[in-house]
Amino acid sequence: MTDIVVTGLGITSALGVGADDNCTRLLDGRSGIGPMHILRSKHTHLPVGEVDCTNAELREMLFVEPDAAITRASLIGAAAMREALFSAGLLYKDRSLRVALVSGTTVGGMECSEQFYHDFLFTKEKNDYIELHDCGSSTDMIALAFPGQFDMVTTISTACSSAANALILGYNMLQMNRADVVVVGGSDCLSKFHLNGFKSLMILDDQPCRPFDKNRNGLNLGEGAAYLVLEREETARNRGISPLCVFSGYGNRCDAFHQTATSPDGEGAYLAMTEALRMAGLQPSDIDYVNAHGTGTINNDESEGKALMRVFGDKMPMVSSTKSYTGHTTGASGAVEAVISILALLHDFVPANLNFSEKMDSLTFKPVSKVKIGVELRHVLSNSFGFGGNDSSCIFSKIS
Amino acid sequence: MSIFIQGISQISIQQPLSEEWFDAPVIPHTIMSPSIDPDFGKYFSPMESRRMGVLIKRAIATSMDVMQKTGLNMPDAIIAGTGIGCIEPTEKFLTEMIENDEECLPPAAFSQSTHNTIAAQMALKLNCHGYNCTYAHRGTSFDSALFDAFLQFKLKKIESALVGSYDTMTENYFLMLSKLDYWKSDFCGIQQLRHSKSSGSISGSCSLSMMLSSLPSPQAWCELKDVEMFYRPTILQIKHNLNSILLRNELMLSDVDAVVMGWSGDRDNDDVYYELKEHCFKDVPLLWYKQLFGESFSASAFGTYVASVCLREGRIPKHLFFFPEDFEKVKNKPRNILVYNHFHDRDHSLILLSK
Repeated sequence: MTDIVVTGLGITSALGVGADDNCTRLLDGRSGIGPMHILRSKHTHLPVGEVDCTNAELREMLFVEPDAAITRASLIGAAAMREALFSAGLLYKDRSLRVALVSGTTVGGMECSEQFYHDFLFTKEKNDYIELHDCGSSTDMIALAFPGQFDMVTTISTACSSAANALILGYNMLQMNRADVVVVGGSDCLSKFHLNGFKSLMILDDQPCRPFDKNRNGLNLGEGAAYLVLEREETARNRGISPLCVFSGYGNRCDAFHQTATSPDGEGAYLAMTEALRMAGLQPSDIDYVNAHGTGTINNDESEGKALMRVFGDKMPMVSSTKSYTGHTTGASGAVEAVISILALLHDFVPANLNFSEKMDSLTFKPVSKVKIGVELRHVLSNSFGFGGNDSSCIFSKIS
Repeated sequence: MSIFIQGISQISIQQPLSEEWFDAPVIPHTIMSPSIDPDFGKYFSPMESRRMGVLIKRAIATSMDVMQKTGLNMPDAIIAGTGIGCIEPTEKFLTEMIENDEECLPPAAFSQSTHNTIAAQMALKLNCHGYNCTYAHRGTSFDSALFDAFLQFKLKKIESALVGSYDTMTENYFLMLSKLDYWKSDFCGIQQLRHSKSSGSISGSCSLSMMLSSLPSPQAWCELKDVEMFYRPTILQIKHNLNSILLRNELMLSDVDAVVMGWSGDRDNDDVYYELKEHCFKDVPLLWYKQLFGESFSASAFGTYVASVCLREGRIPKHLFFFPEDFEKVKNKPRNILVYNHFHDRDHSLILLSK
């Protein structure tokens, strides 16, 4: 097995457009969660993590015509994609490279479908957004924004672990030499459909979320996109690009417990993390930092916390959930948090788990509540869990 | 490592959980022909049955059926494809949200609405903790799922996998897509789908579950030799991809007994296949299947299915030839069949199956 390395990153989140802005705010401890400005829902009391750009601003930034049909999820995705391709020296592609795109989403075009649904059904004329409803079209629109860039494109939709699973397919494609470069990640915007869905499940906090806190009361939804450029170490060397880190292992396991709830002992999460460690050839004690899924719901943090205790025992690495900064970016969260984990690895800091005050009774550990700067990180693990028990973990390691 | 298709089960326009269509197909007479459901009583209690949407029921029924027929009960991986996912609960929640102006919404429909509900429910039913993933990439959702499984077999990560594709068509979605000319407006029988000059096809639903394993067995239908996907290729790139897939598998084009293609009766869709015939497959018999199974985001799964049944049976029935005169050309039992699929000429896939 050859090393699969990360050679480029792009991120658009409530912390800003671009890795620099995101990194600065993580270091400063300034959350992106706040009152709703862009999403037009009546539940304005719910805090959200919005990308602070209107669709018009995003269109301008990306040179998309004002009247061209494109969804917000695709716009946010294209912004992150442009940065990822640029940072890996791929924006003006060498035609001999086979470049694939694997993107995760769970919202797809829902943000537009919910606005135009009446038109979709009852007006005679065709509405261009019908074609953009499904998840695959969301990826397609991102790919089309970069003509000639991609030789293969696909979409994963495993709810909130979609983007993490995109990383996994990308890894496997590179090991099997089915591409020279795979751009992996995900993109999701806020929609009324998902806000109301999570609200109906009574798992939204009307305060900023408090992951791993005794008094946590749910999650805040967020939106965002992130992409990682993966390639074989040898390809990067031949292209003269220095790798940022190694994607050293992953685990994908199913909790097989309940459609929307997680098992009390976090079986799926435990299996995913142990599989990732096994694949990376690491011991639990080698992990310096865990970027937890940590949604802030009663159920997730309890079961993820238990799973972490089962994996790490009394040698718990530093743990934090950065959903307290970005909100839960659903289908994109696996990539958003992979990028944050890699930024932590590159700059030797551990982002804080904001809004933490009291330890949970059932857990033996506390999350990192203040940003830690100047800690040397070698291996970081990022968790992403989804409805239906789709649990995935990814490990990133410093270039030795 | 070799990968064998041990069995496939389907629910569609054709007789369910059987290959009766091979010699006695159901002929679709309308542009929205319904699927024929089996007796679900064998798989679910009346309580479960009431709670579950039809897509989940079909997905579990085809999965249970293929597991029972192959005797493989605990796959290492469950990988699903679906274009529009659990569209019924999605539409239900969306409509309720709009009608009730975001107030007093019950969570049931939302919980069932994510695309991965299908594969997750299968895992739950089997208590399967293995790899679990769902692809939702328009007309190549199934192809993507199969590609994922293929890579994991080759990397020796798995020894068995349940791979499938699942889509239903609702009245609302049908109506929406009709505005995009997805369906024939003047449909008068499946003969019209051959060499059609107009747009649109006929709609069909798909529930198809396939059991793959790396262990050879006398009951295996065929071998999955290769899967390749590409995006917006030029004809030159298609030729190149075809050559590399043949080369990798030590085959010549003359070794390919037939190519299964997604001819659907939609002019723009079929133009791509005419072009392929001219540039890549001039003398190879070409087969079709959407005239029997209809068009859907999951329809490409039936392409692999049809090819697998032909290899299992060692013959190709006359009704599957897109150009009827090709029937005379196939003298021997088919040994290698290619499945070519594309969606909107953007996503293309090539699958190679061998006896």
